[in-house]
Amino acid sequence: MAAEEEYLEAEENLEAIITRIEHKSRKIETLLKQSKPVDALKTALEGSALKTRDERCKSANWIVVHRAVMAIKDVDGMISSLDPEYYDILMKYLYRGLATGDRPTCDQCLRIHEKLTEKAGLGCILRSLSDTVNTV
Amino acid sequence: MLTGTWQPVRINSLLPDSHFASSVYLRPSLFQIASPLHSTSVPPSSRSPRLNWSEQIDTGSSVVNLLSISKDSTMANTIRLYLTCIRNTLEAAMCLQNFPCQEVERHNKPEVELNTSPELIMNPDLICRNEAEKCLIETPINSIRISMKVKQADELENILAKKFLRFLSMRAEAFQVLRRKPVQGYDISFLITNYHCEEMHKHKLIDFIVQFMEDIDKEISELKLSVNTRGRLVATEFLKQFI
Repeated sequence: MAAEEEYLEAEENLEAIITRIEHKSRKIETLLKQSKPVDALKTALEGSALKTRDERCKSANWIVVHRAVMAIKDVDGMISSLDPEYYDILMKYLYRGLATGDRPTCDQCLRIHEKLTEKAGLGCILRSLSDTVNTV
Repeated sequence: MLTGTWQPVRINSLLPDSHFASSVYLRPSLFQIASPLHSTSVPPSSRSPRLNWSEQIDTGSSVVNLLSISKDSTMANTIRLYLTCIRNTLEAAMCLQNFPCQEVERHNKPEVELNTSPELIMNPDLICRNEAEKCLIETPINSIRISMKVKQADELENILAKKFLRFLSMRAEAFQVLRRKPVQGYDISFLITNYHCEEMHKHKLIDFIVQFMEDIDKEISELKLSVNTRGRLVATEFLKQFI
């Protein structure tokens, strides 16, 4: 019973999540136009629905995060101004970016990955590997 | 494991004319890569200019030699980043422990090959440098499988890579950590189990893998160069009779 209820709740929430993501993407576009890539990335990362299993939500969120990540020019500054709680989420998105195989995405993700590992350590990588509950 | 004596090996002869068939002489210590991982030093001896892996492992050199890979600094930078990423991921992922098989009693199998229990397997990591090159790292509890796809720019490199890597895979016993058949969709695979981690230094295993990735590109470029040189020589000789 509990599982069913959870499932129904999840169904309703999907629409809410997707609307939230669209709202987020509009905010990010405005931030990018104002040349604030760091804030855009922060907006993209917070409120990412990690517990959901729905592929559409994840892809939608990924597109938004991808847009913000590609706009980053100053990697060091970005990482130092990011809250530590977002390191894990960012690392998971970086691995998703590296899996795409698209050259500019991979270049950017590799650059950020190196700096993020220096800052956050190997534990961050290990958490992104072993966490099967909260996935991006 | 082969020791001591020179072993000439013909790994490819792409031209039909056997006069110009080439052979690559592999240094026997290629097959002794496992021993440098145990011991601290291997005495250097006369080596072939092509493959001197045990020397590389010996010095524990881990950083990519930028100059030898590419003159283009951005390309060298990308490969450095790519190898750094792989190195960091491997360092994080290579925490293996003994885990007897859950399905069959008294058996101890690398869980990555079985793929039966999802709770034992972590998320697989795919790290792509570009469309052609990628590296898949799968880590369950007692083993780690690293599959690589090597850059192959044209048909010739395709053939050379396939032959060369098949040559290495056939001699997987000597490497210990190599898998006999690559995973579907990749060119070569390594399988490292907890036993390997117990016997060998973890950082040296990682150095070996990263060095391998670096050297593979170099080797294939060198092979391609030698094939082209031979082809040119053959053509010159052959066409001389018509002058």
